[in-house]
Amino acid sequence: MTTPLPKHRVFSLSRVGAIASNTLLELIRLKVFYFLLLFALVLIGSSAFMVKFSFQEQFQVLKDVSLGAMSIFTFLLAVLSTAMLLPKDVEDRTLYTILAKPVPRFEYLLGKMCGVLLLLAIATVLMSLVFWVSLWGREQQALAETMQQMQGAPADQVAEAVKGVTDATFTPGLVPGIIVIYLKAALFVSLTLFVSTYATSYIFTVIVVFMVYLIGHVQSIAREYWLAGEAITVTKHIFLGAVALLFPDLQVFNVVNDIAVGNAVAMDMFAKVAGLGVVYLVIYLLLAYFVFAKKEL
Amino acid sequence: MSDPTVPAIRIENLTKVFPIPFRRERVVAVHDLSLTVEPGQVYGLLGPNGSGKSTTMKIVLGLISPTRGSTQIFGCDSGLVESREEVGFLPENPYFYKFLTGVETLRFFGKLCGIKGSELRDRTDELLKVVGLENARNRRLGGYSKGMLQRIGLAQALIQNPRLLVLDEPTAGVDPAGSREIRDLILDFKSRGITVLLCSHLLEQVQEICDRIGILHRGKLIREGRLNELISIENQTELILEDADPALLTEIQALIAQKGSRLVEQRQPQKTLERYFLEVTGGDTEKKSL
Repeated sequence: MTTPLPKHRVFSLSRVGAIASNTLLELIRLKVFYFLLLFALVLIGSSAFMVKFSFQEQFQVLKDVSLGAMSIFTFLLAVLSTAMLLPKDVEDRTLYTILAKPVPRFEYLLGKMCGVLLLLAIATVLMSLVFWVSLWGREQQALAETMQQMQGAPADQVAEAVKGVTDATFTPGLVPGIIVIYLKAALFVSLTLFVSTYATSYIFTVIVVFMVYLIGHVQSIAREYWLAGEAITVTKHIFLGAVALLFPDLQVFNVVNDIAVGNAVAMDMFAKVAGLGVVYLVIYLLLAYFVFAKKEL
Repeated sequence: MSDPTVPAIRIENLTKVFPIPFRRERVVAVHDLSLTVEPGQVYGLLGPNGSGKSTTMKIVLGLISPTRGSTQIFGCDSGLVESREEVGFLPENPYFYKFLTGVETLRFFGKLCGIKGSELRDRTDELLKVVGLENARNRRLGGYSKGMLQRIGLAQALIQNPRLLVLDEPTAGVDPAGSREIRDLILDFKSRGITVLLCSHLLEQVQEICDRIGILHRGKLIREGRLNELISIENQTELILEDADPALLTEIQALIAQKGSRLVEQRQPQKTLERYFLEVTGGDTEKKSL
């Protein structure tokens, strides 16, 4: 004979939201946003070397440096923040207290992941703002000097010169690049969470994820090299297939480089890259759940 | 409505074996354990370190799975998440999130139990009052003393008004005054009909508050039953007299000898060291630190 228990919701967004907001608060109170100062310093530092360049070249360097720095900072933030979450909760026994409440393990993992994704979103927006402000500052400077140089010139020539300056600064075409950077970092949040579900230490998690990062960047080159060779054995095929399945092909995210030089990226190409990022994120989250669901705490 | 005939906890033939990684050995943490905790009882699970108490608790809470056997909470398999709707748990030496304040901690755990809005605010305020942490509500847990952490731990365990409380060493590391407050709180829960499963090394305290106990040793339940029945000495009787003059005592001794009984011991009763300590310190050392 059983006693009716209070109605339990199999999945609750409010529980996920509570864990996510708590994770975000934890990371904010750990003062992780100090890295933004470093990002701003990188941008200011890079400006010091650009005085001899033309405005177009200066804008290009600023875009390359900013998007490159955003890519690195979001990756580091994703890995270093996520890697500590699970081991810390286990060590402090807070995990016991949370899972002793009616919280399914999947919701716990999803909440933790969403917390870091929120942090990354805030960080990406803030870095984009710093990036935009520094480009805007340069643009104003460039416009003032252009107007001074073109005093007395015909209006259509002035307009053309002004357009040349504004087209080279922050354009809406950069936004897909920033989204791709975010998705790449989001993929690493999910991967790090997966690794940390079976890892025994923070250091182990970070090292494994850094190795995946390296393999992910070179795997497509290695694959092309091997496939271009003479005979392709079955073993080679299976090995390459396994590598492609386990490690994300990070070269596809290099579409950001094209965006930085001003090449418009086709919508279907952007959707393909974004979709790949989301698919990997979901796969790693599910793998994390399968490991964590069986974990003896 | 809850059914009073359904046990709060039912453990049947529970066995838990832990394999040792990279070795062929295995550790049997719990062996064929069966016990029942009735609703409203305070049940003490006792045993030395490594006897299987914590493993049993973790299985009851669904944190680890049994190798064999089953555990149920109010009739619901404790491996299911819904069984935790009715359970509050205080782990040994809880730390919680040091970056949260007392009130934020309770709100966080309340949200995990599906409590929202004004109900959550009222419940948080009420529990902070119950555990005596109103003055420290906005202080971060990083600055809490051990006793305060235990008390906020108790408050979070009670946040969803559970019918069962699982307490692992609730007074570990707490000073006598704090320890007494926690013990009084447990007695208060008992009076409100809350079932308590208590793991403790402090046998004196267990003796004061538990109705029933189980003693685990090397993973096996070696003794189990009502506390009074287990510890009473059946062939002895205790008389405590007040203001008895020496003549009366001599008379009693003579009567005892005449009736063929034996006076085992005659002494003045002593108060406990804890009671003496609380009398001389005023019994509120913990509260003064708030």
